[in-house]
Amino acid sequence: MRKIETTLTTLLSDIGAFYEAKKWHFLSVNGIDLGEGKIELQWIFSQYGVKDEVVIYYALSDYETPVPSIVTLIPSAFMGEREIVDMFGLKVEGAVSGLYLDEDSLPHPLRGES
Amino acid sequence: MKKTIQIPLGSQHISLLEPIRFKFECENEKIIGVDADVGFVHRGVELACTRSFEFKQVGYVVARVCGLCAITHSLSYTLAVEKLLGYVANDRIKYLRMLMVELDRIHSHMLCLAHTAENAGFEALFMQIMGDRELIMDVQEAISGNRVQFDYISIGGVNRDLTPELVALIHKNLGLLSNKIDTLIGMFDNNWSLSLKYKGVGVLSLEDAYIYNALGPLARAAGLATDVRAETSDFPYEDIGYKMILESSGDIHARNFIRLREIVNSIEMCQNIVNNLPVGEIQEKAKGKPSGEAVVRVEAPRGELFYLVRGSGQNMLDRVRIKTPTFSAIPAMMEVFKGAEYADAPAILASFDPCMSCTAK
Repeated sequence: MRKIETTLTTLLSDIGAFYEAKKWHFLSVNGIDLGEGKIELQWIFSQYGVKDEVVIYYALSDYETPVPSIVTLIPSAFMGEREIVDMFGLKVEGAVSGLYLDEDSLPHPLRGES
Repeated sequence: MKKTIQIPLGSQHISLLEPIRFKFECENEKIIGVDADVGFVHRGVELACTRSFEFKQVGYVVARVCGLCAITHSLSYTLAVEKLLGYVANDRIKYLRMLMVELDRIHSHMLCLAHTAENAGFEALFMQIMGDRELIMDVQEAISGNRVQFDYISIGGVNRDLTPELVALIHKNLGLLSNKIDTLIGMFDNNWSLSLKYKGVGVLSLEDAYIYNALGPLARAAGLATDVRAETSDFPYEDIGYKMILESSGDIHARNFIRLREIVNSIEMCQNIVNNLPVGEIQEKAKGKPSGEAVVRVEAPRGELFYLVRGSGQNMLDRVRIKTPTFSAIPAMMEVFKGAEYADAPAILASFDPCMSCTAK
């Protein structure tokens, strides 16, 4: 597993330069609450046909800063982006809430203070 | 001006056994747009794994994510925690874990084939395949003590060993099933309703498989050579006769054949495991508390299952991330629906083998 740091500002250019659809399998968008209003966001890839090659791009952020969408680069990412909107209450460009949660559900359940 | 109408499929539908709802936008009989709603049974398992249960208990919690691939979930989590503890299982434990995962794959694939037969109007064949599937369910129950939700894998090993009686039962039932699968392959290859009818229907092209990150049987039916068993080194799959199964047409027929041929390969692997089971303990001590971050990928029956576990040396974990095969397959599934006839939607859906229990974990 390799972890590569990025920022929300450079995310699109970093992943755009890295991602090739026939080389990398896009696994997931992930969030990890770090406490005190901070969150680590992850974009995870594995390489086709290569053993144990997993690459994680990660960015440290807070809950207020809008997260850019990578759907223009990786169309299948919309599911993961909708999931972190529901689970962490993040604002992701173009992603709406309601994938998992209903209106009467616990809001953003994976945030630390929830 | 062409008129379009919205037609829902699910979440309660006679051809749809899972709580997922598709909203199709149709122009006459053709699907031109689709949206999916997957949250009907969301259970908050990820939250429970970090707030309600200690790390030693979580393996038994995640086994409840799915009744079909419970072993795969508990195995993925256990491998991730073992990486954080710096523990590597001995070969006997690895072989026993592989045995149970491959048995999971066989009965899960058979369930999908049964539903496919049902959607083709073969009620009797549906019952026959489900009956034959019991040969594997009986073996899993005899090994683990449970018929579903198997609590077989634990941190540092497995909970039960094979006895000579169990080995005899495994050989007997796998032998019986092998003959039945040969018959099934003939039916799915020659019967019009199961073969020609499904050729060219619900096609996922290789190009779209890459673009939409298809995985598991869905990807391999389109010719995309990806299988976690070949892309990770956690288990010695090459030693027990693993072969990557590929088709190229990407249609319902190809997906059926991927599953049939994978069942044959899984039967061979299970027989090889039992015949070459290494000597060793089935339970070892994995000391300490998980600290750091680990990722694990395991090939579940429907494709790649991904776990990310982060701990900070406490009994409670900081994060358990579960990414399930069907969740990842939905973008590719939605693409396949576009352009298909609405009447084919139930058969296409069955061929994807969606698991909403996993998806809404």
